Amino acid sequence: MPRVIDGRELQPPEPLELALMALDTLPDDEELTMLLYCQPHPLFDILRRNGYRWTETVQDDGTHEICIRKA
Amino acid sequence: MHPNLSFEQAPPVSVPYRFFLTAPLFGVAAGLLLVWLGESAVASRWSGGALALTHLLAVGFMLQAMTGAVMQFVPVAAGGNVWRPGLVANLIHPALAIGAGMLVAAFLVHESVLFRLAGAILLTTVGFLVVVVGAALLRTPARGATILSMRIAVFGLAVTALLGATLAEGLAGDASWPLVELANVHAGWGLGGWALMLLAGVSYYVVPMFQLTPAYPAVLSRWLAPILLVTLLLWSVQLGGQSPAWQQWVWRAGLAVGAGFAGVTLWLQQRRRRRVSDPTLLFFRGAMVCMIGLLLSAVVMTLVPSVAEHPRLPYWLGVLALPGVFVSAINGMLYKIVPFLNWLHLQRLMGIGMLPPNMKEMIAERAMVAQMRVHFAAVIFLLAGAIMPEIARVAGLVFAISCAMLGRNLIQAARFFRNFRDRIRAAAPNPAP
Repeated sequence: MPRVIDGRELQPPEPLELALMALDTLPDDEELTMLLYCQPHPLFDILRRNGYRWTETVQDDGTHEICIRKA
Repeated sequence: MHPNLSFEQAPPVSVPYRFFLTAPLFGVAAGLLLVWLGESAVASRWSGGALALTHLLAVGFMLQAMTGAVMQFVPVAAGGNVWRPGLVANLIHPALAIGAGMLVAAFLVHESVLFRLAGAILLTTVGFLVVVVGAALLRTPARGATILSMRIAVFGLAVTALLGATLAEGLAGDASWPLVELANVHAGWGLGGWALMLLAGVSYYVVPMFQLTPAYPAVLSRWLAPILLVTLLLWSVQLGGQSPAWQQWVWRAGLAVGAGFAGVTLWLQQRRRRRVSDPTLLFFRGAMVCMIGLLLSAVVMTLVPSVAEHPRLPYWLGVLALPGVFVSAINGMLYKIVPFLNWLHLQRLMGIGMLPPNMKEMIAERAMVAQMRVHFAAVIFLLAGAIMPEIARVAGLVFAISCAMLGRNLIQAARFFRNFRDRIRAAAPNPAP
């Protein structure tokens, strides 16, 4: 079942905190989806250093949808 | 996603922090200098005391804090690779502080050697900063309103420093340059071309992110910087030695551009998605109100000529612009940036699966609110000094207290970082570098 974090109404670094907690328990075959109004550069750095891959799409309303899974 | 935009490029936290922690010291010095000088500092724009106060804030407080912010912001948010940030900070930080101190001393004792030394130090230092940061901003593949504004801001800083050094040489000797016009253009580029341009560029990025507002309208973020640049170029025409009558409308147009930005920022704050108020939001609100206050002052000056000729009008405008707009905005920004950087750098040391302490623990909310109240009280006292010059000393004291409280709060955050970092390193068998 996909996990979704909607960080659009949250102040930094709350979305990052939720993402880190979710990644800690994310099974290898599952995906974490984040919804944000900006590119989370610090999160990308953490993902890169810890062996995750991700895709990013920008929706019409400016929402960045980031799908993360273990590499 | 852009592969080059990453926190990996962030400089060590000591790079921005040394600038952030130094800025309030100059604010304290400015307040104490006003206590010492009293009414004489507010009497004329051209007194040595008034010019010393102006540069304690503009070069001592603002340039220090803004340099720290740029050194952090360009690599992380703009994707620009700043050349050896540790070495650059080691050189620029002390040189800016010494140059600012020397310039202030030159204004107070009217010593030619000090003017020449200060001009040379500040021009060299700012020139080096402009080359390093400018190269990073030109080479970044990132695009957008923030990058455009920051590029023009760095150009504006270069023009400001060049004109400032020319003025210092003029004050040191008996050059026959048009010093009044040079000073007008220098102030325009410093406040509009550097400070406002940078504030706008950074705001497009951080206001929606930290204050949870909608994005700035594209028409504003796309056109503000070019319009402001054209306004400044028109303002610079007076360097020819004559100030045509239409120039009186150019600076009003510049203030209207600033007020437009301020009005939109206030409107966005009203439409924020979560109705939470914190010191950063309130500091920004105060700064934007002061920016609109500048335009309203210009309107009153136009309608009531006796106001325009009042000798303390430049002091009133200076207080609105420096402590009112820029010190407020920087103060508010520091209260968000410093805890956020603490959090990010600690998280980097801790690795995934562990969370650093909450940002609210880095600087006590109560301490920030208390400092904010003292700061805005200082702005009101300083403004009142234009009407009742006898309270200038009280205003200076309140401003010095506010800056000391800001410094104490920032030191508290830096200590928090250091203590927690040391605990992480002590607990880790193989600590991260």
